[in-house]
Amino acid sequence: MSHPHDHVTEQLSEYLDGELPVSARESVDAHLSGCAECRRLIEDLGSIVAAATTLPDTLPDRDLWAGVAQRIGATRATVTPFTPPVRRRFSFSVLQLAAAGILLMLMSGGLVYLARPHDDRGASGVTRAEPSAAAGDALTVSVANAQYDGAVADLERRLKAGRGELDPETVRVLEQNLGAIDTAIEQCRRALEADPANAYLTNHLVSARQRKIALLRRATALTTGS
Amino acid sequence: MRTALTLLQVDTPLTARPATDRMDDVALAAAGDVRAFERLYRAHLPRVHGLVRRMTAGRDADELTQDVFVRLWQKLSSFRGESAFSTWLHRLAANVVIERFRTDTTRRQRHVDGEGIFESLPGARSSGDLAMDLETALEKLPDGAREIFVLHDVEGYKHQEIADLLEISAGTSKAQLHRARMILRRHLRPASA
Repeated sequence: MSHPHDHVTEQLSEYLDGELPVSARESVDAHLSGCAECRRLIEDLGSIVAAATTLPDTLPDRDLWAGVAQRIGATRATVTPFTPPVRRRFSFSVLQLAAAGILLMLMSGGLVYLARPHDDRGASGVTRAEPSAAAGDALTVSVANAQYDGAVADLERRLKAGRGELDPETVRVLEQNLGAIDTAIEQCRRALEADPANAYLTNHLVSARQRKIALLRRATALTTGS
Repeated sequence: MRTALTLLQVDTPLTARPATDRMDDVALAAAGDVRAFERLYRAHLPRVHGLVRRMTAGRDADELTQDVFVRLWQKLSSFRGESAFSTWLHRLAANVVIERFRTDTTRRQRHVDGEGIFESLPGARSSGDLAMDLETALEKLPDGAREIFVLHDVEGYKHQEIADLLEISAGTSKAQLHRARMILRRHLRPASA
């Protein structure tokens, strides 16, 4: 008989992505509650997935437009020197990404919690090990808050320094969108204060924060011309 | 160190433009306006180049990026606005890369990696920046695993979309994604793998 560990390992990516059926997810949940090795593995996978979302856009080392223009039959006489823009790179530390990875994992677990009946006993009648997961959730969100605030503050500082480079209409639309996202974040925060274990609200809060980070990143990139 | 190159003259800034202006540029470029097309090129170059470079591990990335924009010029009139322009362009870019892979005989078996795939990537010293280490590790992944990791985890494609693009099953896409993540974990955290 094979060890359940091997079977669970093969399912961890689908578990992380929220693509396992409820019964399989509950089986993985049960395994994770007693297997530190698999918990480390899924935290690592979550960190990698989180890191993948932060990879910056890139520019070629040489400008490619002249070649494109030639191939599409466009010709123009006037040329101007091209200096590649200085590109800033937005990155997270390993600790930040680990926190994000854990949060991803807990979020997907939380969605399943919502999707299943709120009964401490499964079909087999075995009591589930919930308390440790709940404690971990609170800790992870707390860590993510601090890292998120730091990342947003850094981006806002960069944006403030470079906003003079932006078209006034762009600034207006940007501020309008940031205001809408901030409102959504604040509403989620307040709702979570009243219902801290609500995974649906947590999901929305994280999603809104991701949108804000993404918008700030794009705006900051515009100020540097990258 | 980068050297200064020459670039065709433009009259207006090519970045920091609202999205609505860029949609105007899509219409203008589709009607044959080269300046509008150049603005589109500059606005979308970083994202397209990042996608192409990661999918190809840097091999022929510049040439393929040019191919993408030449294809864009040829296909612009078929853009119907049924999805966001950037979404449509990125799919076109992914298709250009995948077509190149299909004609490359050394890459034809890229989605049929054997068990040895787990041994193909030795652990590396960490720089302390996981995103930077991930960029390095991505280049060393087998082609098939890398394509799927980039499309799913970096670009946000669903497994069924990847399956349609690559003409594989969604199950193969899921399996390859898991393999890619496990290889990357082995590379990025060798002590725990």
